[in-house]
Amino acid sequence: MEPRHLLVSACLTLLAAPTLVAQEEGLAPLTEQQRAAHVLSRLAYGPRPGEIDRVLEMGVDNWLKNQFGFQESKDPRLEDRLSEFQTLSMGIAECVAFTATPRQEKSTIVEQRLARRKNRIPMEELMESVAFRAVFSERQTTEVMTEFWRNHFNVSFTKGQSIYAQMPDYERVVVQQHVWGNFPDMLTASATHPAMLNYLDNRLSRKPPSKQQLAELERRTKRNTGSEERAEEAVQIASQRGLNENYGRELLELHTLGVDNFYKQKDVIAVAECLTGWTIDAKREGTRQYLFNPDMHVDGNKRVLGKLIREDRDGGPGQGMALLKMLGKHKGTADFIAMKLVRFLVADNPPERLVAKVAKTYRKTDGDMVSMLETIIESEEFWNPANVRSKFKTPYEFIISALRITGCEIGSLGELERYLVAMGQPIYNCDDPTGYYDTSDAWLDPGVMALRWEFAVDLANGKVDAVAIPDSFYDQIPIDLPPRLWQHHLTQLILPGGAGARTRAALATVTSEYLEKKKVPDLYELGPELVGLLLGSPEFQQQ
Amino acid sequence: MNTTRRDFLRLAATAGILSQVDPFTSRLFAAPQSPTSSALVVIFLRGAADGMNMIVPMGDPGYEALRPTIATTIAEGVVPLDKTFGLHPAMKSLKPIFDAGKFAPIVCAGSPHRTRSHFDAQDWMEFAAPGDRTMRNGWVNRYLEMTRPKKDNVSEFRALGMQELLPRSLRGSYPVLAVPTSLGRRKTGKTLDRFERFYGDSGGMMEGGDSMSGQREEDRAGVVQSGRITIETLRRFGEIIAVAEKKKKKAMRNNQTVSGTSYPKSRFANRLKQIALVLRANEGLEVAGIDYGGWDDHTQEGGVEGRMATRMTDFSQSLAAFCQDLGPQLDTTSILVMSEFGRTCRENGNSGTDHGHGSNMLLFGGGVKGGKVHGDWRGLKETDLYQGRDLAVTTDFRDVMNEVLENTLGFDVPKEFFPQYSPSKVRGLF
Repeated sequence: MEPRHLLVSACLTLLAAPTLVAQEEGLAPLTEQQRAAHVLSRLAYGPRPGEIDRVLEMGVDNWLKNQFGFQESKDPRLEDRLSEFQTLSMGIAECVAFTATPRQEKSTIVEQRLARRKNRIPMEELMESVAFRAVFSERQTTEVMTEFWRNHFNVSFTKGQSIYAQMPDYERVVVQQHVWGNFPDMLTASATHPAMLNYLDNRLSRKPPSKQQLAELERRTKRNTGSEERAEEAVQIASQRGLNENYGRELLELHTLGVDNFYKQKDVIAVAECLTGWTIDAKREGTRQYLFNPDMHVDGNKRVLGKLIREDRDGGPGQGMALLKMLGKHKGTADFIAMKLVRFLVADNPPERLVAKVAKTYRKTDGDMVSMLETIIESEEFWNPANVRSKFKTPYEFIISALRITGCEIGSLGELERYLVAMGQPIYNCDDPTGYYDTSDAWLDPGVMALRWEFAVDLANGKVDAVAIPDSFYDQIPIDLPPRLWQHHLTQLILPGGAGARTRAALATVTSEYLEKKKVPDLYELGPELVGLLLGSPEFQQQ
Repeated sequence: MNTTRRDFLRLAATAGILSQVDPFTSRLFAAPQSPTSSALVVIFLRGAADGMNMIVPMGDPGYEALRPTIATTIAEGVVPLDKTFGLHPAMKSLKPIFDAGKFAPIVCAGSPHRTRSHFDAQDWMEFAAPGDRTMRNGWVNRYLEMTRPKKDNVSEFRALGMQELLPRSLRGSYPVLAVPTSLGRRKTGKTLDRFERFYGDSGGMMEGGDSMSGQREEDRAGVVQSGRITIETLRRFGEIIAVAEKKKKKAMRNNQTVSGTSYPKSRFANRLKQIALVLRANEGLEVAGIDYGGWDDHTQEGGVEGRMATRMTDFSQSLAAFCQDLGPQLDTTSILVMSEFGRTCRENGNSGTDHGHGSNMLLFGGGVKGGKVHGDWRGLKETDLYQGRDLAVTTDFRDVMNEVLENTLGFDVPKEFFPQYSPSKVRGLF
């Protein structure tokens, strides 16, 4: 017993102690342990218990090889859980039918409540599945990148009930399916998906009614109502209908070129016109899928970014498709996507040299996702110690990584969602078409930290409903480790990238205060206290 | 973005605010004191509140006909303000403030932009830049930024968001504290104490820092600073409230009341109560923001009673209590209430109303020429309505903001403060 304990503490001291060289140089190259911690932090939502050791065993490079380009979660337990969800695999029409409320005049309050509840099932299941995947999937990089693209092509439940049944399909068909494909394909998938057509109103965008049509409407209304005022009103309302620039603008600003990059207001209008008629087959018996309606389309050739976009001679959606193709090949798109990827995976102020490299990869490979990511992880910048733990975790990243590192069992999303709402980042609920920001300036408001601390302490002390840190987490601490070293070991577990001197000193103080009070120290008492502090520490807020 | 925070911390460290000795009292006394100055409280009713059922045009012959099931009448308790308008019965608690000349409703106020999207309209109203998608700083934040004090002894309490997420009007480059209300106060105190060792004290322990630790790494993302300010400001916020409550208890033991105010029991009332405490503590609070959500009454809006009436009761009683609680300080305070747009004049098929255009703004405070309904009312004849269905906007919401900034906060509004806007006076508002 004694020798083993000595060995353990010796190892811990060795790992925790600063080396002279590192201190002098300031930024020493990463050790293998730090490399493992870095990939598990940037290309994963942090390690699960024991995962650092597993990555070290297989080698960081081999771990990376297993992460790129794979979609299935590789976790039968997770797949089992997800298979219990009813709506995840549904197409839109099926989901609409599932949630449809039969309109009955005399339905009881209970029936009404059940109907309302049913309406929400797609939303609840989708949100929960996103969190479950992020926490449990072995294909962590897939989950991290899926979240990146969810925000890039943001759609949101805040649009209202009309979007609920469209969202599970969007997650599958637009995001998951293309996460390892290429950017132009994902762009087209989003442009033709009912959730996006609904969210950014393109389904309503149409050519304004012609003078003849308005005159006809006026005649008809006058005949039917006998009122000239009514007829005028009808004309006035009808003449308001027309082009909706909402999607056209966001397509340029948020999805492809970046704000005010290359385009002007006249391009926004031309883009919106190219896409008129891109709507949803929403008739009672309709497919609920994307539909091109030539009656709504503004006819004629258009000029976008100085380029001629020809009208589809067959009266189809060819013009919009040509536009998307042009945008997908545009230099501005390559630059913008490269910048966002590097900002997301490397640093809030993305190094220009690497952005240029990734943009070059985009152009060379037609926006191949795997190739772009490879360019990033093969770069000096990705591994530069100055870029390690330099990003402030978003509230979502903070919560998911806390659940992972402690090996939490999760019964349901319920209360976790409440914390996400309080911190301002509920899943698939970003009202703003920009999606959630991934830079620290968006999240580092004074006050925000208090909620993180509350969550950290609540989680560690089993106060978050339906979520529990299992005893097995604490079983990782050697049974014969003296209590004053528990904090050492827990720090190793929760901050595998290392802890700062201040944090180490603070934990030591908490420990000695506890040990002074308690004659018989209890790991299941001091442990949660320390875990709460570690999860709320400055180091854990960074990735 | 961190200059103020950093400056504050530097100052705080030298002034001993961050000292470990008896944090409770030392902090409070070390806090910079400023004389009572003017303040603005911005309240946003999210979801497009039906202004027409708040300031009821009871004297307009069209009103009842347009709203067969949701109109309210004098017989049902509408409180007349003048010949045309009255307060909805659920808002009668605001009548005394109106009579005291400190409540000025402005009818037919709103945005010149035609949007009926909540998202755009809220953004554009809170950024005070209709149609401008590039604006990212709220109008209040722009004010804070432009009047950013040059000296170090800046109150960190210039602005507060009384909720977990800042209202958009307060968002922007000037740091504003969001007070998370989900935290119980006692619990917050404990949480802050717990984490002080990790964030609260500066320097000293860094000598042993290795390459993967120390100040440098922790500050890479500015986390420590943000945490330190969180502790410092939330704690002071807690102290202000605790001291004020102690005073109140003492007064009550002596059968006196500090302001004789009883607030209703609601989230909104609690937030106002806390703002009143901070305002009375003279901590230099200039602007506070609160959101009040849930006004999107497409169905079952109700008339004299109903969903909206319940909300209006809470809203009005809370505001009335707040005004009373402020006492003489109300004279240097403005409370500005707005909503992104109004609702259709005609009720829809579900005893509700749909997205409309013009609405009203409510302004309370000492400097305001209250006791009079402001704004240009054109009547409810179909030809007078916007697109034949909604109230027209006859007062640009920026005109009201402009007046408040100039008159309440004494801010000389620069020309481009509101982009693409030329100011126009709201006659007789101040």
